[in-house]
Amino acid sequence: MLPLSWFLVVGGALFSVGLYAVLARAHAALVLIGIELMLNAVTLNLVAFATYAPGGQFTGQVVTLFVIAVAAAEVGLAIAIIMRLFRNRATVDVDVVDEMRW
Amino acid sequence: MLSVGLESTWLLVALPLFAFTLIVFAGRWLPRQGAFLGVLATGVGLALLALLAAAFQRGGEGAFSVDWLRWAGFAIPLGMHVDALALVMLGIVTSVSFLVQVYSLGYMASEPRYGWFFAVVSLFAAAMLGLVLADNFLVLYVTWELVGLCSYLLIGYWYERPAAAAAAKKAFITTRVGDLGLLIGILLLFRATDTFSMSETFDLAQRGDIAQPLLTVIALLVLAGAVGKSAQFPLHVWLPDAMEGPTPVSALIHAATMVAAGVYLVARALPLFEAAPLALFVVAILGLVSALLAGALAVVERDMKRVLAYSTISQLGFMFMGLGSLGYSGAVFHLFTHAYFKALLFLAAGSVLHSLATQDIAQMGGLLRRMPWTGATFLIGALALAGVPPLSGFWSKDDVLHAVLTYQSPAFGLLALVATALTGLYVARVVLLAFFGGPRSEAAQHAHESPAILIGPLVVLAVGAAFAGLLAPLGVVRALLDPGHPYTFDPGLAVLSTLAAVVGLGIGWAVYGARLLDAGAIASRFGSLYGLATNKFYLDALYQAMVDRVVLTLARLVAFFDRRVVNDMGVDGAGVVTTAAGERLRYLETGKLYHYALLMVLGVVGITLIVLVIG
Repeated sequence: MLPLSWFLVVGGALFSVGLYAVLARAHAALVLIGIELMLNAVTLNLVAFATYAPGGQFTGQVVTLFVIAVAAAEVGLAIAIIMRLFRNRATVDVDVVDEMRW
Repeated sequence: MLSVGLESTWLLVALPLFAFTLIVFAGRWLPRQGAFLGVLATGVGLALLALLAAAFQRGGEGAFSVDWLRWAGFAIPLGMHVDALALVMLGIVTSVSFLVQVYSLGYMASEPRYGWFFAVVSLFAAAMLGLVLADNFLVLYVTWELVGLCSYLLIGYWYERPAAAAAAKKAFITTRVGDLGLLIGILLLFRATDTFSMSETFDLAQRGDIAQPLLTVIALLVLAGAVGKSAQFPLHVWLPDAMEGPTPVSALIHAATMVAAGVYLVARALPLFEAAPLALFVVAILGLVSALLAGALAVVERDMKRVLAYSTISQLGFMFMGLGSLGYSGAVFHLFTHAYFKALLFLAAGSVLHSLATQDIAQMGGLLRRMPWTGATFLIGALALAGVPPLSGFWSKDDVLHAVLTYQSPAFGLLALVATALTGLYVARVVLLAFFGGPRSEAAQHAHESPAILIGPLVVLAVGAAFAGLLAPLGVVRALLDPGHPYTFDPGLAVLSTLAAVVGLGIGWAVYGARLLDAGAIASRFGSLYGLATNKFYLDALYQAMVDRVVLTLARLVAFFDRRVVNDMGVDGAGVVTTAAGERLRYLETGKLYHYALLMVLGVVGITLIVLVIG
């Protein structure tokens, strides 16, 4: 069996990639994908910890299933928002859409 | 045979209270604005009182209470204590307020706020009855303030008149000064004894369980309340001004009942004063000063009602003198007779006022012929006041003087007799100027007798004023109060006091009746004294100056603090800081998505670092 730290390293790398996408990309869909990557990194951690935890509990797996379900709903909502944004502004660049300030 | 126990005494309070509520909330739909309800309540109360007196005869005094407030191991009872003193006071309050309300049916008939008058008078009756029944200091204080409130409302009944509004304020604030003392006294007493109950407190005081300097301070503070309410020197200034109220109010509240509350309080708390001889002496001295001072002022006053007001202060002074000389039953007996003859005098004065529309005795004259009923009843009241035997005032005043002469020094007794003579003098002056001689104004010329609804109560009260005193030698009211010390008739004293009264009356007759002496000449002969008296011994001016200088300066200071510190810095400060901070911080909201995301990440990193470092 692989040691726990391998999973954590993969999870950390995945999270960092997602964070980079959220902070650095301007395209709304790419920001969304970044968020999804971060979510998956977290669920990976959860499953890994659940597997290695003594006593064989399934809490981590259960929470992961929840996260997947919620993420699916979230993606539906987010894509709908991005579509509306494009219809109204003819752009999906989040740097341009900054009217909600001060 | 209908049998009522003393436990039903609370009905006596509930009836007028109910009348008050009904008149205030439903008066506008009732005939005559519901005024009859007030009369009905006290009328039924009077009948109830007779049954209660019978119950008292059968079973003696009783105490009843329910818990009013209760918390861990401590309760404040809402209770009543029906003893002889309470019963006598109940009799005075119920009977006088019944007669005064009947009188007011006629007297106040043309007033637009007719119902309001009867509502407040009913509230007053309820509060006053509650006051004399209260068996603990907290209930006493509440009802004490309630009667003060009613007094304020009724003095200011004609609040459109600036003089009435000012007089109401003056009365309320002046008595407030004394009430503050009473409140502090009650709280100190509670600290010392852990109970508000009167009887328990008095037991403790008599056993010497309260340390001596504290006990004297408490007694003096309680006395302060009594002095304010009973308009004794130095807080007497409000009572003459209170005559701005309707005359029936002057008769009920400012002559017969509420101003007697101070006397009642000292009489009730006499065990406290007995244990504090210094405070007891102060009671007597204040009484003497008030009796002399107000007597002198009554001699120079021209307004009929104000003469009577000063006379009330003077007579209440006699009661304080009696209490200060441990003449408990004599003082309360004087309270009892005084209630009737003074209410009578006020109502008769109201009848005169009703006809003449002036209160200036210089504008009257010869009224006895034109208003025979009013004149005759006034004369009976006046002679009772002067202490002419065998009218009521004679018996009760002798009772008081008996205590004073046996307990106090001869000089004190002599001054008390001088006060008696002064009473005779101002009585003679007001009677002779108003009712005898020739009319001195157009209005007096055309004076006419008042209607029967005004005369009826006058006649009833005149009977009381004439014969109430005879109850003492017959052993009725007086014996009830203090069975241990029955009324003793002292012929020597009777001669002495009658002589003093006759001297006063004689001087008055010589000056104002027979014109043997000229009033103006006497006034200029004693110019400085006359000047002092006409200026009310400058006490009103002194208080006014004190209010202007001290109180208003202090008030301005407080107002400044309130405006600049509390308002500008406190209340406005919070708003100003918030707006200014928002004005600067709003630029953090850039609208850029990655700014928010970055700040979130930095926040998480920061918190993680803090947790790692701290532990």
